Amino acid sequence: MKGGGVRKPGKAAPLQVAKAVFWAFFGVRKKSDHAADVESLTPVQIIIGGIIGAALFIGSLLMLVKFMLS
Amino acid sequence: MASITHPGHEHEHEHHGPPSGIMRWLTTTNHKDIGTLYLWFSFIMFLTGGVMALTIRSELFQPGLQVVDPEFFNQLTTLHGLVMVFGAIMPAFVGFANWQIPMMIGAPDMAFARMNNWSFWLLPPAALLLITSFFVPGGAAAGGWTLYPPLSTQMGMGMDMTIFAVHILGASSIMGSINIVTTILNMRAPGMTLMKMPLFVWTWLITAYLLLAVMPVLAGAVTMLLTDRQFGTNFFNAAGGGDPVMFQHIFWFFGHPEVYIMILPAFGIVSQIIPTFARKPLFGYSSMVYATASIAILSFIVWAHHMFTVGMPVTAQLFFMYATMLIAVPTGVKVFNWTATMWRGSMTFEAPMLFAIGFIFLFTIGGFSGIVLAVVPVDIQLQETYYVIAHFHYVLVSGSLFALFGGTYYWLPKWTGYMYDETLAKTHFWLSMIFFNVTFFVQHFLGLAGMPRRVPDYALQFADFNMISSIGAFGFGFSQLLFLYVIIKCVRGGAKATDQVWEGADTLEWTLPSPAPYHTFETPPQVSFDEYHVQNVQNVHNK
Repeated sequence: MKGGGVRKPGKAAPLQVAKAVFWAFFGVRKKSDHAADVESLTPVQIIIGGIIGAALFIGSLLMLVKFMLS
Repeated sequence: MASITHPGHEHEHEHHGPPSGIMRWLTTTNHKDIGTLYLWFSFIMFLTGGVMALTIRSELFQPGLQVVDPEFFNQLTTLHGLVMVFGAIMPAFVGFANWQIPMMIGAPDMAFARMNNWSFWLLPPAALLLITSFFVPGGAAAGGWTLYPPLSTQMGMGMDMTIFAVHILGASSIMGSINIVTTILNMRAPGMTLMKMPLFVWTWLITAYLLLAVMPVLAGAVTMLLTDRQFGTNFFNAAGGGDPVMFQHIFWFFGHPEVYIMILPAFGIVSQIIPTFARKPLFGYSSMVYATASIAILSFIVWAHHMFTVGMPVTAQLFFMYATMLIAVPTGVKVFNWTATMWRGSMTFEAPMLFAIGFIFLFTIGGFSGIVLAVVPVDIQLQETYYVIAHFHYVLVSGSLFALFGGTYYWLPKWTGYMYDETLAKTHFWLSMIFFNVTFFVQHFLGLAGMPRRVPDYALQFADFNMISSIGAFGFGFSQLLFLYVIIKCVRGGAKATDQVWEGADTLEWTLPSPAPYHTFETPPQVSFDEYHVQNVQNVHNK
């Protein structure tokens, strides 16, 4: 991600990518948020966000398992 | 060839059309011809696998051995699985993709038309390898469709033929997937952005990526089996330092996404049918896309739930149990969306809708029994029992197959130009619905009572439910002959179908004449959309 808070038009902030990926994992997205996603998210952002999201998801499951077994 | 088709001149192709007779089918590069080939091939394989299933159910009609040898029984269960998965369900969905995707996105054909021909014509040799393996010394593969070593490293040449068949089928699937991805990403009509695509196209796009990701894994697994068998390697041979459990991990890393490969296009078909017959746009279109993608991603991290009893650390058991249960979330989103689409809709219940509703009802039962099996301590009791058989037949028969039946009735008027016999089609639905449940619901009880799968004989206490299941299986099997009759009757003639066919349908294929001309959308259509759903300029609402 480019630093300095300068965003090109058509590029979303990391937080918006994270939100979109989270809701995609859940399988639900509010219509207005979805419209905003379509406007500003690029496919590369979604793919990178998805991979990070999947890694976090696996990590959180492993933490849960560790907690259950401790 | 770069001619422009004008309305009313759709038969122009006859002047420069394809060769006739068998050469038409051997050399065709037309997506509709290839779609038809896929569909007939898969139906023949469906009947072939069905005959195997009925032989299995004949043997299990009562305790004791009376119809087939135990060795042959094991070959039947193995080949029934392989034929149905790789020969019937998967090619049937590719047939739908071939027919429908170009018409639904406004493309003239598939992106790689010649490769499309090759993708199809690889299938008959593979099917021949599988079927003829029954007649070689040692018979067909008998280690179950999962081909686990050490059984699969010990068997006769039938296993080598099966491995070769799997290689060929995998190559076909990979080429088909490349074709589908390229077609969808590059050949959409102007105005059809990704998020405006019909859901059937979306589910196939995601399915094609799944296929590309996992078919090479399966090819690797069976290649290692082959080298273990023929070239002295020891990948899966414990005596040589190998690990048979590694095969199970590799196989199921393919095998679990494979389950979704067989169900996601079914979701797509149902997502086309329900809005049409509820006369409402699909509820939560973008949620459906997200849920499909989410299910696809999750499918890669749950594979070991197929092998809880093989031995793994409790950490792994818990991880795979939790991950598996979480799949219920996006799947539940889909079921709620379909239900919400029907809610307060102006519904009618033609055959496609009946099959779609039957799908939702029975697939949900299959989903719930899946959650039961995801629970490790329960699974350890139920592993390798008829409960598992019941579970995956609810997913694959009343899931995938019912969606295929529904999709066939839905698009058959567009393909043939004639309406099918609605009364007979509804009869087909009700017979299938009743006999399916007679066959498979009781298998839950058999599994809970402890009857193991893949056995030709069983203890007396299982006799009654097995008899009921066998009666249901024969009823279900013969009901499919009615399906064949309805199709043939429709292909040969009948009431002329309108172009629109279903008043609530709004995707691009319904703007084409019925039957769809040999070449369509040689000039891309201009597509416009309303706020919610795909809606082209010649929309249904003015009907």
